[in-house]
Amino acid sequence: MRLAIAVLLSRWDRLSFSRLRELTGETDGSLGAHMRRMEEVGYVSVDKEFRDRKPVTWYALAPTGRRALDAHLRALEDLIGPG
Amino acid sequence: MSPDANSDLGYVREVVQRSERQAMPREILWLWAAISLVGFALIDFEPERVGLYWLVAGVGGFVLSAWLGSRRAHATGQESRETGRRHQLHWAGMGVAIFLLAFSADGSSAQPTARTILLMVALGYWLAGVHLVPALKWMGVLAAATYVALAFLEGFPYPWTAAAIAIAAGLVVASFAGGTAGAER
Repeated sequence: MRLAIAVLLSRWDRLSFSRLRELTGETDGSLGAHMRRMEEVGYVSVDKEFRDRKPVTWYALAPTGRRALDAHLRALEDLIGPG
Repeated sequence: MSPDANSDLGYVREVVQRSERQAMPREILWLWAAISLVGFALIDFEPERVGLYWLVAGVGGFVLSAWLGSRRAHATGQESRETGRRHQLHWAGMGVAIFLLAFSADGSSAQPTARTILLMVALGYWLAGVHLVPALKWMGVLAAATYVALAFLEGFPYPWTAAAIAIAAGLVVASFAGGTAGAER
């Protein structure tokens, strides 16, 4: 799940919590737990705003998260690559 | 690779593909339906004002479309400068090519120039359909069919008005087939 979130955030500049929930099909609670964990380790940056008096939380991939994702993808390439 | 890793990567691919199934905001297609309706019909009624109209409406429509697109991305909760830039480069490229063609055209050959511009519009919609918004491919086909039909409408009293109606109707249909309202999530 966190790999999918990191890849999504690397593809798009920023995604709202509700859009992430829609794309991943996760529940509020489960997605919230993943996002909190990713925020704690510095993988994502969080921005909050109000739209029509409702809070909207935006997430973007932080430089630490991008480095971790690159390392993870390199490891996957090594796993599936030739040789 | 283990079945678990395979299934994880399959899930990641599915989620990313879902995020990329982007539709165009209906407001943009309606805006261009209105601009095209007036702009192409003008060739029948006020041919001397067509250039100025497209210069003003084309640039204004482009700026307004960019604003509507960014507003939609914000409302959807999915923003990407790179995607916005790709759309802008595509449509700006088409606009500049049309401007250069019209600017360098011989004043005595307004009708052939207008038809060539319509063919460029068809190509622009087709390429937008292939690379940006799939529903626009059909607009490319419709505009190309209109271009072909115009060659056979020599004796028809208002050929460009008929073409304008066809293109505007096509954009409205495309807005329901592949567009989304700005406030939709």
